[in-house]
Amino acid sequence: MHAGVSPSRGLAAGLAIIISVSSCGAPTPDAATLLKQSSQRMLGLSGFHFQMQISGFTGTDEPVQSAQGDAHPPALHARVNLKEGAILLEVEVIFATGDIYLKSFTGGWQKLTPDEVAQFFDARTLFDPQVGLFAAMRDTTAAARGNAEKVNGHETYPIAGQVSAGRMHQLLTLIRDQGSYQATYWIESQGSDLWRARLTGNLFDAAKPATITFDFSNHDHPVSVTPPPLG
Amino acid sequence: MITPFRSPRLRSVNRTVLLGLTGAGLFLASLDAYVVVTALLPMLKSVNIAVNRPEQATPIITGFLLGYLAIMPLAGGLSDRFGRLRLFAACLVLFAFGSFLTATAPSLAQLVTGRVLQGAGGGALVPAVLALAADLYPTGDRSPVLGAVSALQEIGSVLGPLWGGLITASAFGWTWIFWINIPAAALLLWALWPEVRAGGEERRPANLDWFGALLATAGLSLLTLALYAATPEESPVGEGIIWQLPLALLCFVLFVWHERRTPHPLINVRRFRDSSFTGSALTNAIAGAGLMVALVYIPVLANAVFSMNASSAALLLFRLMLGIPVGALLGGFLAQRLRSYRLVAALGLVLAATGFLLLSGWNEGSLTPHLLGSPLTVADAELLLTGFGLGLEIAPVSAALLDAVGDTERGAGASFLIVMRLVGMLVGFSLVAGFSLWEFHRVTAHLIPPLPGLNPNFATQYAIYVLKVKQAIFDEYHLIFRATAIALFVGALLAGLTLRPLPRPRWR
Repeated sequence: MHAGVSPSRGLAAGLAIIISVSSCGAPTPDAATLLKQSSQRMLGLSGFHFQMQISGFTGTDEPVQSAQGDAHPPALHARVNLKEGAILLEVEVIFATGDIYLKSFTGGWQKLTPDEVAQFFDARTLFDPQVGLFAAMRDTTAAARGNAEKVNGHETYPIAGQVSAGRMHQLLTLIRDQGSYQATYWIESQGSDLWRARLTGNLFDAAKPATITFDFSNHDHPVSVTPPPLG
Repeated sequence: MITPFRSPRLRSVNRTVLLGLTGAGLFLASLDAYVVVTALLPMLKSVNIAVNRPEQATPIITGFLLGYLAIMPLAGGLSDRFGRLRLFAACLVLFAFGSFLTATAPSLAQLVTGRVLQGAGGGALVPAVLALAADLYPTGDRSPVLGAVSALQEIGSVLGPLWGGLITASAFGWTWIFWINIPAAALLLWALWPEVRAGGEERRPANLDWFGALLATAGLSLLTLALYAATPEESPVGEGIIWQLPLALLCFVLFVWHERRTPHPLINVRRFRDSSFTGSALTNAIAGAGLMVALVYIPVLANAVFSMNASSAALLLFRLMLGIPVGALLGGFLAQRLRSYRLVAALGLVLAATGFLLLSGWNEGSLTPHLLGSPLTVADAELLLTGFGLGLEIAPVSAALLDAVGDTERGAGASFLIVMRLVGMLVGFSLVAGFSLWEFHRVTAHLIPPLPGLNPNFATQYAIYVLKVKQAIFDEYHLIFRATAIALFVGALLAGLTLRPLPRPRWR
């Protein structure tokens, strides 16, 4: 007579299988897939907070030093620090419904013409689905995943790769469009949120390096950007 | 309250050397009290804060004052309990650590934290060194020594902005204002260490009113937060004023209630029933507010509209600061000679108010005209007059308050004088900072800057715009100086109505 499997032994075997499968987990996607997933995720969010910092040699024509604000791509509302000679000036920028609005040192909001926008900071391109930072993520080549790192308390994978200078030039028009630049993205292992992006290279001068760092937080926190009242 | 007691070991060491070393530490800390006023803009730039967000500089100033105010009332008792030199050493370390945080600050938060710790460390040095001086010298010889220690602190405060301006304008940059404190503090500690380690000082249990100090600090912190206009384009005071102000008032009410009941209060609040005490305390606070306005806004005005660098701005302020010790010396002499505190105090405050009124008429060409063919400019004379007036009131107001408290509470009275001056600085500056920026934003709310683009008239439009902005900045300063003048006139009235005459000399 064939002896049946005892219930306790069956339960133990079942548990062992569950534990071993769950401990193996799903394999981590490759770097290119992670970049695509994260790009999609960031463009699909209902909003996030961002900080952008430019360091290194920025030349005399690049006035932007840093920016921070909230975005619901491509719309955004940011405070931007501009270098004006030896001093820093803060302006407020809104990009909503296809137009750019500026609030400067004094006075209320004014709507800028495309020509005026080109003078200092084209906020339209920053998170544009076709040419912005998240689009550049998809176009990153030679991407490789590094060891897990904590960024702002979140477990992330740093993905390093190359972005063509032409692509970067679309992001900020004062960036030189020759060669390619180093890009690193810190993507959360669970959920694909992008927490940090760093673009490095001779961005504003053929011989001198500069770095642009983006830090993101408040992922999927709803952000609504509307045109401000003028005047 | 500073209570001297015998310390055989301290008396056996060279007391001049001991007092010299601790006095040097006190001087170092007092240099840093107002040192930032000529370095504010570069400090803000280094933590990536734009020049058109000056409101963010407010906590750099108020943070130091709050730290100072939090520790100072307890420092006397702490020095009784742990020993003067031990407290001195601990506070010097705290001051040096605060300096390190300030010099290395990558963010505004660290900058402010560093300044709070500097204030706390520096604030406790004053009572510690005064108490040490009282321990080292017998009653008959004590007065000139205590006077010298107080003078050292005042001289440090006067020189601080100049010191800060010169370093900021040099190749070293503003961070060296604070870096230099670290080796200086280390050197002093090294020299004092054998005495600190020997622990030969007499110690005794002291009744520290922790709860009272906590309530006072909480009330002042909440009041500072309530008055801090973080977004002056929207409001001249803080967004949380609705709950912060009532909570601050509650803390002050609880403080008074507690002080009336505790056997060892920080301040004998019953003294407020005496109009001479209350009047001199309030007058002192108003004068402190006036001094703070001058300290902060003259260098910023010099920088923003006269395009001066930090050292030139410091030299402009130094003209006012020079008037203070001159006025202070004469104020003491005059009060004694005329046998009237109220007259000399009121005269000083009226002169200071007049000085501020004259400053409120400044425009772009105000720094050039000379005074009746002399090498002095009219502006120099106006600044000297303002400083002279602020100095003239110090001795009569201080003496009136010390007379009101009597011999037994003189130490506590002296501390209270410093506390009230700092409270005046804190509250006055917070109010002025918020309301003046709010007014600037209100006046320029429709002044839209021209943008380059394809605008053929950009250069002309931009020049007109810059002129209008400068005028708005002048208008803001006129308002600040006029408001300060009014406050000082009120102070003069208060002093004139409340201060008691000098007591008759006992030999008569």
